[in-house]
Parts: sequence; C-alpha cells; structure tokens
Amino acid sequence: MQAAEKSSFPSASLIHPQALMSIRNLELRARVVVEGFWSGIHRSPYHGFSAEFTEYRPYTTDDDPRYLDWRVFARSDRYFIKKFEEETNVRCYVLADQSRSMAFGSARYTKAAYAATLAATLAYFVYHQGDGVGLLTFDRRIREYLPARHRPGHLRRLMLSLEKAAAGPGTDLEAALDRIVEVVRKRSLLLIVSDFLAPLDRLEAKLAALAACGHEAILFQVLDPAELTFHFDDPALFEDMESGRSLFVDPKAVRKPYMRKLQAHCQQLQAACQRLGMTCHPPISTDRPLELVLFDFLRERMQRRALTRRRVRANGRTNMKAGIA
Amino acid sequence: MSFLAPVFLAGGLAVALPVLFHLVRRTTRKRMPFSSLMFLLPTPPRLTRRSRLEHLLLLLLRCTVVCLLALGFARPFLKRAVVPAPGPAESRRTLLMVDSSASMRRADLWAQAKKKVESFLSDATPADHLALFTFDRQLKPLLEFQEWDSAPAGERPVLARGKLGQAAPGWFETRLGNALISAAEMLAESASNTVEQCRIVLVSDLQEGSHLEPIQGYEWPKNISLQVEPLESHPSGNAALQLVNHSEGADVKSVDEIRVRVSNSSDSAREQFTIGWSGPPDSAVSAQPVKIYVPPGQSRIVSLPAPRLNAGLDRLMLRGDDEDFDNTVYVLPPQVQTATVVYLGSDSEQDLAQALYFLRRAFQPAQSQRVELLVRSLASPLSYEDLKSATLIIVNGSLSEGAAQVLRNQLAEGKTILSLVPESAAASGLSKLLGGERVNVDDGQPGDYAMLADIDFRHPLFAPFADPRFSDFTRIHFWKYRRLDFAAVPNARVLARFDSGDAALVEVPSGSGRLLVMASGWQPSESQLALSTKFVPLLYSLLEESGAAPPITPEYHVGDSVPLPSISAVAGSTPVLLPDGSRFEIAAGETNFSRTLMPGIYSVGTGPLAPRFAVNLDPTESRTTPLAGEELERLGAPLARQAPLVHTEAQKQLRLQNAELEARQRLWRWFIGVAIGLLLLETWLAGRTGRKAIAPEAASL
Repeated sequence: MQAAEKSSFPSASLIHPQALMSIRNLELRARVVVEGFWSGIHRSPYHGFSAEFTEYRPYTTDDDPRYLDWRVFARSDRYFIKKFEEETNVRCYVLADQSRSMAFGSARYTKAAYAATLAATLAYFVYHQGDGVGLLTFDRRIREYLPARHRPGHLRRLMLSLEKAAAGPGTDLEAALDRIVEVVRKRSLLLIVSDFLAPLDRLEAKLAALAACGHEAILFQVLDPAELTFHFDDPALFEDMESGRSLFVDPKAVRKPYMRKLQAHCQQLQAACQRLGMTCHPPISTDRPLELVLFDFLRERMQRRALTRRRVRANGRTNMKAGIA
Repeated sequence: MSFLAPVFLAGGLAVALPVLFHLVRRTTRKRMPFSSLMFLLPTPPRLTRRSRLEHLLLLLLRCTVVCLLALGFARPFLKRAVVPAPGPAESRRTLLMVDSSASMRRADLWAQAKKKVESFLSDATPADHLALFTFDRQLKPLLEFQEWDSAPAGERPVLARGKLGQAAPGWFETRLGNALISAAEMLAESASNTVEQCRIVLVSDLQEGSHLEPIQGYEWPKNISLQVEPLESHPSGNAALQLVNHSEGADVKSVDEIRVRVSNSSDSAREQFTIGWSGPPDSAVSAQPVKIYVPPGQSRIVSLPAPRLNAGLDRLMLRGDDEDFDNTVYVLPPQVQTATVVYLGSDSEQDLAQALYFLRRAFQPAQSQRVELLVRSLASPLSYEDLKSATLIIVNGSLSEGAAQVLRNQLAEGKTILSLVPESAAASGLSKLLGGERVNVDDGQPGDYAMLADIDFRHPLFAPFADPRFSDFTRIHFWKYRRLDFAAVPNARVLARFDSGDAALVEVPSGSGRLLVMASGWQPSESQLALSTKFVPLLYSLLEESGAAPPITPEYHVGDSVPLPSISAVAGSTPVLLPDGSRFEIAAGETNFSRTLMPGIYSVGTGPLAPRFAVNLDPTESRTTPLAGEELERLGAPLARQAPLVHTEAQKQLRLQNAELEARQRLWRWFIGVAIGLLLLETWLAGRTGRKAIAPEAASL
C-alpha cells in the first residue's frame, strides 16, 4: 500500500484483487493487469557489437582489426577496440510456489490464486515484450518445469501449469533453485513468487549460487492480510496447513510475538537479498492491486538498468583514459 | 410425598456434575487452518470467571433436569389410605414327590426329605390341595388329592405324616424323568380349572444317574411349575462296584475270572479301596481282599478269580467307601443245566453210517448246558429209572410190545419221544405206542432225492428258523424216506412235508407228552440232514421243546423280571427264597418272577440244587454326584423362581399398598415429562448460545 501511495500510478485504473479474482481465466486476468505496460524494454547485460556503445578496451593480439576505432587512433595514436552493448531478448523464468501453505486465504481467494495471477501477469508482460519466458512450479519438490520460450502457444501452456491448485505438503525453495541452476545455463531473470514461510538458513546459499551463475533474481513475497496482521480474536486450535500439526493458540496472547517474529523473518530475507545484489520486494499483501506490484517491478527494473548503464559508462571512460595515459 | 424406590434419590447427587463441568472451561473445538505455525506459540487453556457467569441459565436448567430425573426414578407417590379390593381366596395345588430310590439310603437323606415334606405340610392352608407321592423307577402314591380333600382340614397334615412315616427308601434306581412326566400329567388332570396355581415339589438328592432324558422335549402342561427342594448329600463322594458281563469284555481270559468295574465319583475324597469275596453275613466266610487305587472321577476294571462252586462266596464287597449302599455285588458262578437224552436203538457210536454217531457229536458239552446221552438197546427190556430222568427219548427201530408200553407210559407223563422210522415194519410199533391207532408206513419213492418243501414255522420246533435267512431247508437232500400215513390218528399234525407232498415230520400229542415221527433218518445213507447246519439247532430246539429250559442268567437288577425254569411252571406253585430269608410262593403257571425288590441271591425252590439267581443294584444309582441346578431348566422343566426374602406380613401388606398407590398415581410421568421439556429448552438455549459465539468469528474472517 505504501508503494502505491508513493508511486505515480493513476489509482483510478486500479482493479481490486477481489474483482480481478472473479475472472476465472488466468490469462485474461494477466492481460487486464498488463494493459498499458507495452513500452517496457529490457537491455541485456551481454556485450556485443551493435549501435549502443559500452566501453573502450586497448587492442590486444588476436583482436579483430575491424573493430579498431580509427578516430581515437588518429587522435591519440593508440589502438582501441570500441565495444557496443548488444541488445538481445531476456530469458525470464517465473518460479511459483504451489505448496499447501499458499492455500491459505482469509478473503474469498487464496494466496495461491493471487500468486498465480501475479506470476501470470509477469509472464504475460515479459512474453508480450518479445522475451522468452519459462516456468518452474514447486512445493517440496519440482512440480512443473517449462523452459523459457517465445513461441505461439507457449504462454497458454504456461497459464495452464499455473492454474493447478496448490497441493504440495511443504515448501522447499532450495530444491527449486538447485534445479534452476542445473537446467538454466545462460544468464536469466528469475522472478520468484512465494510466501517464503520456511526456514531461511540455506536459502541464502542457494541464492548466492544463482548470483554466481549470473542470474538476476527478483523475489516477490506474497502474504495474506491475516498473516500480516494476525487479527484473530477467539482462541482456537490452529492447524498447520502443511504439516497438519495443531496448536491451541489464544491470538490475543501471541499477536505481539507473532508480529515480531514475522517482521524479523522478512527483514532477514531482504537482508540476504541485499547482500547478494538481488531485489526483494517488501511483503505483498494479497489485497494489493496487481497493477501496483507490476508498476513497482518495472520501476525497480528501470532504476536498476539506469544505474548499471551509468556504472558501465563510467568504467569505459576510466579504461580509455588509463590506456591513453 | 413418599417414594417407592428411594434409593434412586441418590441419583440427585449427579447434580454436581453440571456444576463441575461449568467450572472447567471447555477446550475449544474450533479449528483454524493457518498457513504456518512457525511464528506461533502454544497457549494453555485457562479457567476464567467469565465463563461460569455466561452460562448460568444453562447450568440451572441442567441441574433441574438431573434432580427431576432422580425424583422420577424414585417413583414418588402421595400417601393415603387404600382399601384393598376383595379378591378370591387363592388355592394352590401341590404335588409333593419324594425320592425313595436306593441312593436315598445314604446318611440322613431320608430324614432330610421328611423334614422338607413336614415344612410343606405345616405351610399348607385349608384352601390348598396336596398330594404326596414317592418315586424311584416310577411314581407311587402315598396320599392322593381326593384323600387329602376328603379328610378334615385339621387332620390332613397328620394323615400325610402317617403315610410318609410308613414309606422308606427302596432299592430301585431313580427314573426322575418318567416320574416327573407322570406327576405333571396327573396334576394337569386333577386341576379343576386352568387358572389354579399348580406346582410339583420335588424332594430329591438329584443325583447324576437320575435318568432325566425323557423330559427332554416333553411339552409341560400350562400353569404347572416345578419347585426343586434338593437334599444335602454327604460331601465325601461315593465309589461303586459293578459287575462287567463277559460279553462286554473282548479279552476275557477264562470263565474262572470275574471282572468288576470300580467307579469313583468326581467329588470323592477317597482313592484307596479294597475288593474281596465274601459270603452271607452269618457265614463269616471271606477271601483275601485286593487293593485298588481309583482317582476321583475315574473307573478301573479289576479281574478277580471266581470262587469255587461250593466255597460259599457269593458276593464281592467294596471297602473304603463312605456310602455302603452300593458296595456289594452278588455274583453266582454260571450254573450248568443238565438234560438227559435216551437213545433207544441198536446203532454203534463209531459207525459213520448210523444215526447215533451224529447224535453223540451233536450234543457237545457247553458252558451252560450239558446233555447226557444214554444209549439203550431195544432188544433188552427198558429200565424205568433210565427213562425217568430223560428229557427226550429218541427211538430208532421197531418197538416190541413191552417197550411200546413203557414208552407209552412216558408219553402219558409228559415226555417227548422222537421216533425215526428206519423201515416200514416199524409201523406196528408206532401203532402200539399210540394205543392201537392205525398207522401205515411204506417206503417212499423219491425220484432222485426229496427236499423239505412245506415246513410249519409257527410250530415252536421250527420257530427259530422262521427268519428268511435261516428258513431255507431245500439244500438238504433226502435220499430215502418212508411214507407215513397218520390219517387215522386223531390230532396228528404234519410239521414238515417233502416236495412230493409226503409227510416228513409228524407230531402226535399223546397223554401229556407228544410223539414226533420222522420219515427219514439223518445219517448220510438216508439224508444230508446230519451234515447240514440245521441239524444241531433243530436238535436243541427239540430239546428245549421237551422241557430243557435254557439256564437262568445269573445276574439281574432290582426290579427286573426273571424267567423261571419251566419245570417250576409245570410242577405247580413254587416257593422262592428271598435274600432277606422270607419266602414267596409263585402261582402255578407263572413263567416270570418279578418281585426282585432288593439286591441279593434268590433261589427258586428248595434244596441244595435249587436254581439261584443274583439281583444287584442298578449301576446308574451309584452315580450320586449332585446334578447342576441348571440341568432341569436346560431340559425345559418349568422351574419356579426362588421365593423372595420372607417379610413379615405387615411389611408385605404395606409394600403392596404403596406399590398400588404409586401405580395409580404415576407421578413419575410428570417428573419425566417436565425433565424432557427442560431438556428441549436447554438444547435450544445451548444451540443459540453456540451460534452467537460463532457468528462474530465468521464475521471477523
């Protein structure tokens, strides 16, 4: 909500998630959300030889002399290779959590439905931007894997996989990340949609492995408003949806410690992502309009891209000056 | 307000239960599925003051329901005087059956039985009808209903007491099943109307060997109940002695051995016994006893050497047992019956071709019967002494005048004479024997051979062959025979004919005796009769017909009917010496003796050679272990339930009045009805409270 307030997104065009969820078709839901976001362009971090300049590099043996910048040679009598940024399609993988904990929902829809819609929105957006999009659904094990493609019919297949109900007994994000490392060799954008309600001990190590492979990961933590506020009144026997374990809980007595622990858990997750240079969105309540989530995602991507470009250019000039000197 | 069952008021204490349940806060049953419990801590259930206050009305309702139920079950009523409705005076019809079998001779059982009967007699009211019976193998009346009813009311018990005083246990076995059926039918017949309460009171030791089988499946008349008054028997159990017949044992070594079975009851306290031969109590003769070990519930067979014939030992005594009524078994050595057959003829015993050779071999000495064969020549004068003891006289040859006269006298005395007709010349002798009746005899002419074709199997001589398995005489071929013509002889009866129609065997009664004439001999030159299987049975049948009765079986049970030797039936009244020394005269013509009322040795007639037989107690009577109480019920007897504890008359009356008042008022129905109404209210209220509690939760979700 705070993000929505800060953003310049026109609030009149927002659709309430409850109204959105009444649309049965997932692809239609995604299309509705993505309306208006066609202009987004992703730039690849891969270097190539295209119109977009990246940096200068001193000529070394075995470099192709065709790429020598003769104007710099004329000016400085030094051989420099001019490098350009290659504009390519992004390979994007959406990782959707389908464990049983995602089946919780205090409103008329569950976290799983919201998360599926968010994943579908992101996939739809990326696909219609011309990029390849893949899918990996998981709970305690990998349930479905679709490689990143940009083909007719691929998006529909992806939507069908996302529509499957959350049925897995527990959450094992580490296994899903391991699988991604195994099957995705090229650098890709990973959009991880989960409630991350699992111990984070080994998650950081797995995320580090992803970063080492050059993958860029963006984490979307989806939580129900009841989980975020724990607004229950009467004592009840709380049943863990994943393990089936039950616990007699008086909400009034445990609300404070619960909120404290939840906050600590979320902070721990964000701190881990920050350390690895990854993006972790603040917990997304399932009553937050999806347009805002998408807007936040794009804004964050553009900021990040601008930052990267500035850094690269600064590095290029530094290299050239150093070479001339 | 009074209560018929005040003990149920204690159920009111259950009012504490709802109070207790309201004090304890119920653990919530509400379940809340949640994504993960990783941030939650368990909270213990708490007792809060608030929870008690909330459901005060429910608590009150529940307590009231419990109290109302307790009051209802206590069957309340309001006391007021009740005038009892006048009813008809109840009369009971009671048939008292007192066991008088041999087992009642034990210890003080008979005294106990008399005491039980005495108590019933003293309880009898003038309106009651009562009959007194004893039973052993059958029901025996002491005092019947008519006698009881006809006697003045005050004298009835005295009359019954007197009758019972004359009775005593006998030696018969118990046949309780038959006795009960007889009693039930007698009671059903004597009952004047169907609503009258009829009961059979059984006073017995209810021993195992009571023969209860007949009442299994018996349909008891309605309105009859059986009240059992068991007698307390001696707790140390009983051992019994029983003679094992020779036919029972397959491995009998010799007839010189007597085998007895010693049975020990399962409740017996003793295991060691001795058995020994003994004589009559006054003879003081006895033999060395044999020790035997019989565990309780088991039996052993013991072989003892049979005593010598004249040793005076006629009974086996079991010692070491507390109950001595069945410890003696009377045993007589098998008696040998001797019959004399006089053969008149000139045959040689060693000549295979002659009739005497086969006759001698047919009469082999047997265990129970010996046949003495006297051979006399027809040529020499006949001695009266020889013929006097003869049972059967066989004549083979022509009779002289003198011989015919002697034999005629024998016929007159009742003897049987079998005459073979070896030649046609014998006709004159036969004629003389029959007192001058004209008899024609000539040689028959069988084609190849003759066969017996027409036999009168109704005649006692051939009766043993009447069964179709034995009635085939056609395999016996007759090579030669004489044609007999007895047409002129009155009463002559042809018992068998050849296939040619000629007579083969003719019977002519003469005097008290009879003459049998055979048309052919049995030696091989005349026929195959001697070599056939029919010959020996036919001879013995003839011998039996002549008066040689089969020997008396030496052992009977008390109450059995004993066939007598036929000679006693012929000779007129015969005295029988009973074991207790008394005599009983058997009327002339009686063939059976049925007054075997006690075990012991009975002798028919007087003198040292008088036939004797032994009578023993029925072995089932020795099975004295008491029957289980449920046994009669299991067999379908309509047992009367045990009478409730005796109250004083006033208490009884009061209880009856209270019960009647309560039954009229039926206040309990009001209490239960109100309780049900309150329960319904409580259910509605509890449901409403529950729904109220759930609604906010649903709204919050």
